[in-house]
Amino acid sequence: MSVFNLNGKEVNYAGSPAGRLLDVLRGEWQMTGTKCGCKEGECGACAVIIDGKLTNSCLVAMGSLEGANVTTIEGYRETQRFAALDKAFEAVSAVQCGFCIPGMVLAAECLLSANPHPTEDEIREGISGNICRCTGYGPIIKAIDMAAKEGDGLW
Amino acid sequence: MVKSFAPTTLAEALKLRKAHGLTLYTGGTDLMVEAKEDASYLFLHKIPELKEIKQDAQYIRFGAACTFSDLIDHPLTPKILKEACGQIAAPAIRNIGSIGGNIGNGSPKADSALIFMVTDSLVRLVCEDGERMLPLKEFYLGRKKLALRRDEIIAEVLIPRQNLDNYYYTKVGARNALAISRVAFAGILDVRDGVIRHCATAFGAVSDVILRPAEIDAMLTGKTLTQAKALRQDYLAAIDQVIVPIRGRVGVEYRKDVCLNLVRDFLDVNGI
Ligand SMILES: Cc1cc2nc3c(=O)[nH]c(=O)nc-3n(C[C@H](O)[C@H](O)[C@H](O)COP(=O)(O)OP(=O)(O)OC[C@H]3O[C@@H](n4cnc5c(N)ncnc54)[C@H](O)[C@@H]3O)c2cc1C
Ligand code: FES
Ligand code: FES
Repeated sequence: MSVFNLNGKEVNYAGSPAGRLLDVLRGEWQMTGTKCGCKEGECGACAVIIDGKLTNSCLVAMGSLEGANVTTIEGYRETQRFAALDKAFEAVSAVQCGFCIPGMVLAAECLLSANPHPTEDEIREGISGNICRCTGYGPIIKAIDMAAKEGDGLW
Repeated sequence: MVKSFAPTTLAEALKLRKAHGLTLYTGGTDLMVEAKEDASYLFLHKIPELKEIKQDAQYIRFGAACTFSDLIDHPLTPKILKEACGQIAAPAIRNIGSIGGNIGNGSPKADSALIFMVTDSLVRLVCEDGERMLPLKEFYLGRKKLALRRDEIIAEVLIPRQNLDNYYYTKVGARNALAISRVAFAGILDVRDGVIRHCATAFGAVSDVILRPAEIDAMLTGKTLTQAKALRQDYLAAIDQVIVPIRGRVGVEYRKDVCLNLVRDFLDVNGI
């Protein structure tokens, strides 16, 4: 049994400690905002925030979560910071199919909370583990830059 | 019965290790790519004793559960090590991937381990009944074979304090499954008053284990730059001999060529 905090609520998990967080989120708890692109840590579509750090949920065994704080896109979307990112992503049309976007947004959050005024290179580095096959990254980088400027003070 | 444990003290972890063996799990970034459903894990990431970074008169000491991000952020981490950690994968991997796991997976491609090899680092192995220190070079016994007993864990990695200012580090290619090749090279040259006080090289991803040809590097130690220059061809020939790339892999010759070119460049930039 592991007990941890998911999007602000305490959860109890009694399944296999070797199970993947990604599978449990999507399969057992129907939280499908977290996407599955590779299960090898390469694509970032499954990214969540664990204890303040960007983490690929496909590489997390459930048993490691005892006492942890986990934020998925479903929890993050309730925040003001999300609203600033959402607005910027929309303003520059940074979303095409949308598959990579939950991971991108959480990567942006982790970047901006460590570095509220990133350069373009720092933004690229911050999302370097998140693969987007649609946009060519340009608009996504622009959106994060815009959110940092317009949402100044939030991070 | 699948059972896992997440102890919060080292003593507790060692007791569990002795009693049940278990698969050691720190960040899971290697283990979870396979994600064996029936694995029984001993989680090590919550043990404060394994997360410390400190120094004493002889060594800079890194707890085995320190992540690459921890090392990048810490003032005691030598620049060469920060640079290598900074080039590992992406933030989400660096945030949980640990140095203990990097050494513990036994891969010749392990990037932080390459730096621990070129700096002649030691590992501190602990078990319930005691501990021992082993040079990392002796910890690697062969392809995926480690001198780790069933009741032991890697607790710390110790870098001997030395002058690491003048280093050379290059990693060629990506981890991506589609990339045909990947080679990494690290070199250290400590030159004072025109004399080479210390020369060290290490090669990643060319052999079953990371190569650390200390006997060959010793050829240059104690020499002036001019003397070293005269030895350049002999030195390169000896390195050429010692690199026996893994058979049957794509790009075997290419890997070796890349290595030798990197060594030449290392010598060139140092005027040798
Ligand atoms: C997308 C991706 C990209 C990657 N890129 C790189 C890269 O560029 N360079 C690189 O070097 N690696 C890379 N890796 C591999 C991996 O991230 C590293 O090897 C990392 O250091 C493993 O650490 P971990 O804590 O996650 O290990 P784990 O998966 O927890 O463990 C790895 C192995 O070490 C053992 N182990 C763990 N802790 C200990 C301990 N304290 N004592 C003894 N044994 C132990 C485990 O039993 C296991 O066999 C990448 C992985 C992924 C998924
Ligand atoms: S599904 Fe986890 S990184 Fe791709
Ligand atoms: S918008 Fe389609 S993958 Fe990024």
